[in-house]
Amino acid sequence: MAEETKPADAAPPKPAPPPGPPPPRNPGLVTFTIDGREAVVKPGTNLIEAAASVGVSIPYYCYQKRLSIAANCRMCLVEMSNAPGGKLMPACQMTAAEGVSVRTDSPKVKEQQRATLEFLLVNHPVDCPICDQSGECKLQDYYMQYNATASRLDVPKVKLQKRVKLGALVVLDQERCILCTRCVRFMSEIRKNPQLGVDNRGSHSVIATAPGLPLDDRYSGNVVDLCPVGALTSTDFRFRGRVWFLSSARSLCTGCARGCNVFLDYMRDGVYRYRPRENDLVNQEWMCDEGRLSYKPFNDARVLAARVGRSNVPRAQAVAEAARLLRAHAGQGTLALLASPVASLEDLLAAALVARDGLKLSEIYVGGRPDGWHDDFLRRADQNPNRAGLALVAKAFGLAVKSASDLADAVASGKVKGVWAVGAELPAPALASALGKAEALVVQATNEGDLAAAATVLLPASPAPESDGTFVNFEGRAQRVELAYWPRGESLPHWGLSAEIGRALGLVSRWASARQLFEDLGRRVADQLPGYAWNSLPSVDRRKGLIPLAAGTVDGRLPGQRERMPLDQSGNVQWTRLPSSREETP
Amino acid sequence: MSKATETAVHPVPAAASPLDAPFPTKRMLVNLGPSHPAMHGTVRAVVELDGEAVHAMKLDIGFLHRGFEKSCENVTWTQVFPYTDRLNYVSSIMNNVGYALAVEKLAGLQVPERAQYLRVITSELHRMCDHLTLISAMGLELGAMTVLIYGMEARDLIWDRLTELCGARLTSNYARVGGVSRDVPPGWNEKVLRILDRTEALRVEIDRLLTRNRIVIDRTRGTGVVSREDAIDYGFTGPCLRASGVSYDVRKASPYLVYDRLDFDVPVGSNGDNFDRYLMRMEEMKQSDRIVRQCFDQMQPGAIAADDSRYVLPPKPEVYGSIEGAMAHFKIIMEGIKVPAGEAYAYVEAANGELGFYAVSDGSGRPYKLGVRAPGWNMLMALPQMMEGKLLADLIPTFDTINMIGGEVEQ
Amino acid sequence: MSQAALQRLKERFPDAVTEAYTGPGGDDVALVKKESIEEVCRFLKSDPETAFDMAPYITAVDYMGSEPRFELVYQMYSTTRNHRLRLRVGVPESDPVVRSVTPLWKGANWYERYCWDLYGIRFEGHPDMRRLYMYEEFVGHPLRKDYSLRGRQPLIPERQVDEPFRGPGPSGS
Repeated sequence: MAEETKPADAAPPKPAPPPGPPPPRNPGLVTFTIDGREAVVKPGTNLIEAAASVGVSIPYYCYQKRLSIAANCRMCLVEMSNAPGGKLMPACQMTAAEGVSVRTDSPKVKEQQRATLEFLLVNHPVDCPICDQSGECKLQDYYMQYNATASRLDVPKVKLQKRVKLGALVVLDQERCILCTRCVRFMSEIRKNPQLGVDNRGSHSVIATAPGLPLDDRYSGNVVDLCPVGALTSTDFRFRGRVWFLSSARSLCTGCARGCNVFLDYMRDGVYRYRPRENDLVNQEWMCDEGRLSYKPFNDARVLAARVGRSNVPRAQAVAEAARLLRAHAGQGTLALLASPVASLEDLLAAALVARDGLKLSEIYVGGRPDGWHDDFLRRADQNPNRAGLALVAKAFGLAVKSASDLADAVASGKVKGVWAVGAELPAPALASALGKAEALVVQATNEGDLAAAATVLLPASPAPESDGTFVNFEGRAQRVELAYWPRGESLPHWGLSAEIGRALGLVSRWASARQLFEDLGRRVADQLPGYAWNSLPSVDRRKGLIPLAAGTVDGRLPGQRERMPLDQSGNVQWTRLPSSREETP
Repeated sequence: MSKATETAVHPVPAAASPLDAPFPTKRMLVNLGPSHPAMHGTVRAVVELDGEAVHAMKLDIGFLHRGFEKSCENVTWTQVFPYTDRLNYVSSIMNNVGYALAVEKLAGLQVPERAQYLRVITSELHRMCDHLTLISAMGLELGAMTVLIYGMEARDLIWDRLTELCGARLTSNYARVGGVSRDVPPGWNEKVLRILDRTEALRVEIDRLLTRNRIVIDRTRGTGVVSREDAIDYGFTGPCLRASGVSYDVRKASPYLVYDRLDFDVPVGSNGDNFDRYLMRMEEMKQSDRIVRQCFDQMQPGAIAADDSRYVLPPKPEVYGSIEGAMAHFKIIMEGIKVPAGEAYAYVEAANGELGFYAVSDGSGRPYKLGVRAPGWNMLMALPQMMEGKLLADLIPTFDTINMIGGEVEQ
Repeated sequence: MSQAALQRLKERFPDAVTEAYTGPGGDDVALVKKESIEEVCRFLKSDPETAFDMAPYITAVDYMGSEPRFELVYQMYSTTRNHRLRLRVGVPESDPVVRSVTPLWKGANWYERYCWDLYGIRFEGHPDMRRLYMYEEFVGHPLRKDYSLRGRQPLIPERQVDEPFRGPGPSGS
């Protein structure tokens, strides 16, 4: 074929490319409107977070900010102006786009929320009276806000298993599960240990482990917190108490050196459970199972009365006896101070002050719990919450740090005849009998144990929830615990006992509260704790009358029977410190 | 009262003979203590007597203050109803209704018609009880003890019917947010009509005993006079205000519930004395009877509470049978109904006057503030002025007819 | 409820009335500055168009945590015009003194005593400013939000009883 020549006239000019999107109003950020309010957020923020930033709350079940997006609950559907065909889009999945108008209050969205709840409730058992989640259940809350209509069901509900023991700590009620798969995603994405999955399909879907295998991950307790309904419950807390009777204190887990932030839930003066508190820098929102159960020594086997020898005596008498023994041995130069890194910074500061100024000691022996298991997630090998704090205190007071086995050798060789133990935790059980051979053993203990049994004078100490305090974790981060309830029985926090001993030795102590103590002595370690504000959490200086229930709780849940409000220095309630939903990270 | 007046001795002018000399007297402070049969409720009156005349009077209240307002701030909205019962304890349903109206105003709830009729019927029955109590007590204290017995019989008959309906004679706890708590038992309407007939007979009897009784007229006519201007200035409402000549009745001025459909008269007096106040109450009982009969004629079967799960407990079969009912019941009881934030003042014509409830909500399940405008308060405030210069014996019928109920005045 | 009275008040006192609105159920409300309350009340009573001749119901609310802390509420009613109006007066905690309206209406006497007794708001020009419900030795103002629900101040020592049940709400010290 002959070569064809192209026609002489050139091809028509290419049309100009269509105009691109206009540049964003705030460069680098996305500006859009939600419910008429303007929101400016970073690109990639999903709508739920973006709406929360301007005070619009969108309900959701399956969304969790640290897990992948599943979008299976369909509760967060909203109307978006750029949605194809006017469909409602899941707010957890959609990211904000420039100039989009989002509506969460249109009739279509309201009907969608109502209908979604109706579907979720179709097979939900009538378990509220026996369900642990009552009072903190998302189904209940959203039902009142978004549905509040009667049931239209006229067929029987699907029956499934009610008490499946998934693991040592977790029990599953398959009927209550709404299959949001938060637990499944947590195990596979955060723990990288996919022990949970969804079995069967349709309305017979259930959460299950692999057949015959338990849920034995060491962080399995977190799925109980994640579950928005009462499907996954903790065997430890099951049926122990109704959550609206519990008050919450912002505290730290004292199980290892990480110091996971927790809510300590208590009623009267017993601790019922720990719930992790959000802190991106320390524990995100998780804690290990062992830490979750580490509140039990606060309740059980406590030392609540002072003992001299084998008989209970009033605390004042025991303190006088202890001071006499300590003074005697200090005078002869045969006294040693054994400090436990389970005690708080305030406890250790007070003990160090009394030791150095009142007893003229120059060394501090470090006891503490023995090392335990550790992993690369949260758990540290060091099972003591305040070892770093102890090191700081020793340095500040110029005390040389030695180990507890050194002390045992010193006692065995006779160089040390008197021991003052602030905290009875020891790294090895044999050390208790070794130290018991000392002539005078003054022990400040929270719980009964070997060292407490061997003590000449036993003073009752109170653990973390019974005083405000500071713990310095392995990273050198100082964190505050909030007082939950007053010391039980005759016990006092370690700093209170040290102050009493100091007074008996002739020292003048001016501290009526942990805050005053920290203001007085904390200066010596404050430079090592940059940016630490002791007042980051409220403290209670003196007992003020309880505040009416209308006030609310620290984490926005129903108030407990005995509620203590955050008080400022003059004892007035600090209303601005009560967040309504999420807890701010201190 | 200063110490000086206590010992002031009136100067004795010189006289012809010692027998003609006027008797030297001094003013005496008498304490009509909180525990006194004539002091309705626990009110302490310290009167400075000049012979039999009251020179000055000082009132001391607070002996029955039970912390109503503060207690209400600590319980849920629905748990407040028993507290309101104990305000004006002789006509408690009107307290319930007033409070329910305040909450419904804040929440924007519509009460179904049958519930409105039931509220009106029970309110009027309790109004009759209140007036019967007052008239019986007045009769008793003026010496007509038979009147007490007749009045008590009528009151007991009404209370028996209300027991069948509400469960209690005095502290009825009948109204709920959005309606009433339960419907009438079968045959109740006829029973009430029968006792209304009996009550009417007793009322006629009491009328015959008291209204033209020489002693009653002498003791109550012209005593405890409050002028029209004073009555308004003091904030009187109800029968006491109307006795002074001001025709103000909340049921006619701003009709609430179904009062605009009912045909009744409001008696207005002219003298503002004890006798007029007594007559107001006698006549109002007759009108209440009329209202109750009309309500029974007009009332239709229907719902007794609004159909809104956010404020009203779902029916029990739903609570036990469906998860929605269980959750609604649970949330309403444990957290309280979530009344929208704001404040509202609702008022009813109680037996004593305008009973107002000022409710402030913060959006949580508990009232932020609940204030009560007690009608008896204003009358009690005016009592010292009413008694100045009058005889001590006039205090008795005056105290009776102003109908100060300790519960509502001292909350 | 009366829009006319509200309008008239707003016209006459444009500075003193900081806000005027109609609340739920049709209640007309005006927020009035504390300094002008006596003047405003005198006008409302004497002006023939508003004619609020009946003694108002005066109560107070403790909005603890917001500024001003207290709010005095006056519910006015006119017998001649049959209309109502609510005045809300913000009273700061630092200066809880307000001019009394007892010279205008004798019936305001006890209401102001109640506000003093239970909230701590003092009224200047009141003929008898003393406690109403509480006994004179009582310390504090019970209806304030920071006063404990079960705060007890017995004048005679109470007999010790183990854990008496004192009703719902948190048990006090």
